[in-house]
Amino acid sequence: MTADLGNIALWIALVVAVYGAVAAIVGHRQGRPALLDSAYNGVLVHCALVTMALLSLEYALITSDFSIQYVVFNSSRNYPVWYKIAGLWGALEGSLLLWAWMQAVLAALVVLLYWRKHLAFLPYVIAVLMGISAFFVLVMLIPANPFTQHFPVPLEGRGLNPLLEDTSMLVHPLLLYSGYVGFTVPYAFAMAALITGRLSAEWLYITRRWAVTAWMFLTAGIIYGGWWSYHVLGWGGYWAWDPVENASFMPWLAGTAYIHSVMTQEKRGMLKVWNLALISLTFALVIFGTFLTRSGILTSVHAFTQGAVGYFFLALLAVILLSTVTLLTLRADQLKTEGTVDSVLSRESAFLFNNLLLITFCFTLFLGTIFPLLAEAVRGVKVSVGAPYFNYVAGPIALGLLFLMGVGPVIPWRGGSWGGLGRNLLGPGVVGLAAGATAFVLGIRGPSVVATYAVAVFVAAIAVQEYYRGIRARRKTAGEGPLRALGQLFARNRRRYGGLVVHLGVALLAIGIASSSTFQVQREQMLKKGEALEAGSYRVRFDGITGSRGPTHVKVQGIFTVFNDRHEAGQMTPALRFYPRQQEPIAEVDYWIGFWEDLYVILGSFDREGNWAVIKVMVNPMVSWIWMGGAIMVLGTLLALWPARFRSAAVRGERS
Amino acid sequence: MTLTWKKLLVPLSVLPVLFLLAYGFRTDPRQVPSPLIEKEAPPFALTLFDGEHLSLEKLRGKVVVVNFWASWCVPACYEEAPVLEAAWRAYRDSDVVIVGVNVQDTEEAAREFMRRFEFSFPNGPDPRGKISIDYGVYGIPETFILDKEGRIAYKHIGAVTAETLSEHINRLLGEAPRMEDRRKGHERKT
Amino acid sequence: MRSANRRVLIGGLIILAAVAYLVWTGTQEALIYFYTPSELQAEEIGRPGRRIRLGGLVVEGSLNYEPETLNYEFQLTDGTAMIPVQFKGIPPDLFKEGAGAIVEGQMVANGVFQADLIMAKHNEEYRAPAGTRPKSEELYRSLIKEQ
Repeated sequence: MTADLGNIALWIALVVAVYGAVAAIVGHRQGRPALLDSAYNGVLVHCALVTMALLSLEYALITSDFSIQYVVFNSSRNYPVWYKIAGLWGALEGSLLLWAWMQAVLAALVVLLYWRKHLAFLPYVIAVLMGISAFFVLVMLIPANPFTQHFPVPLEGRGLNPLLEDTSMLVHPLLLYSGYVGFTVPYAFAMAALITGRLSAEWLYITRRWAVTAWMFLTAGIIYGGWWSYHVLGWGGYWAWDPVENASFMPWLAGTAYIHSVMTQEKRGMLKVWNLALISLTFALVIFGTFLTRSGILTSVHAFTQGAVGYFFLALLAVILLSTVTLLTLRADQLKTEGTVDSVLSRESAFLFNNLLLITFCFTLFLGTIFPLLAEAVRGVKVSVGAPYFNYVAGPIALGLLFLMGVGPVIPWRGGSWGGLGRNLLGPGVVGLAAGATAFVLGIRGPSVVATYAVAVFVAAIAVQEYYRGIRARRKTAGEGPLRALGQLFARNRRRYGGLVVHLGVALLAIGIASSSTFQVQREQMLKKGEALEAGSYRVRFDGITGSRGPTHVKVQGIFTVFNDRHEAGQMTPALRFYPRQQEPIAEVDYWIGFWEDLYVILGSFDREGNWAVIKVMVNPMVSWIWMGGAIMVLGTLLALWPARFRSAAVRGERS
Repeated sequence: MTLTWKKLLVPLSVLPVLFLLAYGFRTDPRQVPSPLIEKEAPPFALTLFDGEHLSLEKLRGKVVVVNFWASWCVPACYEEAPVLEAAWRAYRDSDVVIVGVNVQDTEEAAREFMRRFEFSFPNGPDPRGKISIDYGVYGIPETFILDKEGRIAYKHIGAVTAETLSEHINRLLGEAPRMEDRRKGHERKT
Repeated sequence: MRSANRRVLIGGLIILAAVAYLVWTGTQEALIYFYTPSELQAEEIGRPGRRIRLGGLVVEGSLNYEPETLNYEFQLTDGTAMIPVQFKGIPPDLFKEGAGAIVEGQMVANGVFQADLIMAKHNEEYRAPAGTRPKSEELYRSLIKEQ
């Protein structure tokens, strides 16, 4: 019954999406406003239908309707209701439904917001968005139907993958998908611009907020994913260069390049083809990532379903790449650049280098990710490209990016003098060098760590300096108090000052990554009762084991007393969770998070009488800086995005 | 904006990437061949749910299908259960034995499962998981087909289909089973 | 071409060349090849010092384990060849005799493979059986009894 409702809703949604796309184009070409209006309504109806399908599946999940196979696989009667709801994005079919729903809601938002304002673009925007929506619905109807029925009806569901039974599961996929889906709007406008030939910066202005918002969600999603990996997977790290992680990082890199390079087109009329290519690349990489994780062509710690879904996503990728490149080729002669680089010492050239680095970074990841395929196709050998390759390649590129991130905001557009640049860079440069020297004096010898510290502190110092100067200038000219001056800085140039906050976040992130990956202390040992293990300044003593029963599993906890510098600091209870239907127990890490270092304890195995246990203890320095950095990045983006209704008139007056 | 041949070459440059990705479908990065193929099947003795005893050695000279299943294994075991029962009914008179090994299950749930699918072939529990270890069973369900000399001729991972079963059984029997038996099996299944 | 443009172009080329160099050396040094035991034996590819992956089945009865030192010794086979493997640490829980495993490390003297990473074969698609692990219920009861 629920399944039928869902399936019917999806079938009609498919028809409506295709109709909407066709009606929009035909209505526009033949100048029939009635047809255009019906395309507009089609977008809204499509959204309502997909919402209905989504609610059907959620209803089935919440009521534990095991006549639907998806519910059997991803839910269980004794789950709390939040996990039942989160079952929607616990596996492929439901994630696709969630994705399609977000896509439909965005399309509806676009037509509601822009119908009167941007009628020139909208027919093609609708066509592209409805085309993408139709694709997702089609995938759900053919190879990955979330409403497939299951007969005979089992009494109990299989439950989610135990690794997903965590509160992060409620948030991380939502953030990531919001990011992915968000990039479709700028992509659709870019395509509309190419098709209609309205190639001024208009489409950039319309979609700027969409792109930055999507970027923010993607950033938050990736960092939240790192946090999930860190506190759930129990291997002591947060990033493993797994294909699935790369799949989310590659569009992030391309998207980052895009939100920077659009400024060059806005200010100088340059890089038009490049911006169109970048947003298309970002979207293509989103689809490529989905293809990668859903096709089973690569191994990954996140094992996913193999099957026909991969062919569908490959086909979509082919359509996107071929159509976009063809359109770009056709319009190439109309995309002549207006400005040129006047000086190497200019904001635009800094952005050029930043873009170049981001895109080559992205390409090296792409190469590393598909290299196993390439090697097997060309030379017939099986290879794996692991963390060593990625760390080796990513380090220097990231350092270069970090440096440009510091320099970029203080070089003026068009060109500056060496003297001006020197004045801007002198203070932060000295601070950065001092930080590097301090690290060296304190006994840190790794050149890459010292360099990262120096450059990251340099970037942070630049951000602080720019704030200080801005506030000082306002205090002088407008006589404002420091807080009011700060508020006015944001009100007048949100993008710049929000962006500087984001840069500050990245600097923290870089310090956190460099420290935690270099100075991690790891000890692994079997301990008899009463014995202790030393790691860093900590002593961890094994005191026995205890068992308890959770809602879905049996938990065996090791009891450890921790001493820090000989003082008793508390008790830690890392555990192994045994699930009745899972052979492998799931390790539950116990951790203390601190500003300077985290203590991280994993129970390996244990004696059932409690006489001994094998544990792994890690001291991870400055990992919390990564989470702080991520939070600051999101905060900075929010500041940059904050709508300012009353400001526009004043600023417009100022600019002209 | 005309599409000349030269311009056409630009979009075509994405094709190699797409071909490479498509190539990925041909290979399975997870595949590791079972070293047990063509080896003698590890012997085992099973106490069946009906209390009888079954020993693999006594089945020498017959084609033996050993199926590892569990009542909680949804949906693969549910999919293949009718297939196995139908095959048993079709082939039981022609030197073929199907043996079900129930792993990591409660007796109650296993019996309920067998009732539901009207299992009539011998089934027994593997309480300490010894048989599944011997066979290198790594997930449920898995099915092993043994030839008349007691060697493992074929290993199937996941739900087994009627076609696969009859193809391998027929090959090992060296003759096709009589048609009426097969039809009977299908009738009972539906 | 104007000089500023040319300089930017030169800067870009330098960046590209540097990244290309990174990728080239990266793929030379940091790639990990995957072999089966018979390939490893036949081709003498496992020269010491080169990091590789080896995949196969853990031979029944070959596993030696010292809980005091966390030293593991076992044989990996693909049905034709066998390679002795040494490992120190905590292997994943799916690791056991008769099951598939992929190990990462390098060949050392006497044809012994020194592994520093064990990846037990694990598949999400269908769930693994009990194996040697005590059932969770039973385990729970035995633990409660102790208290």
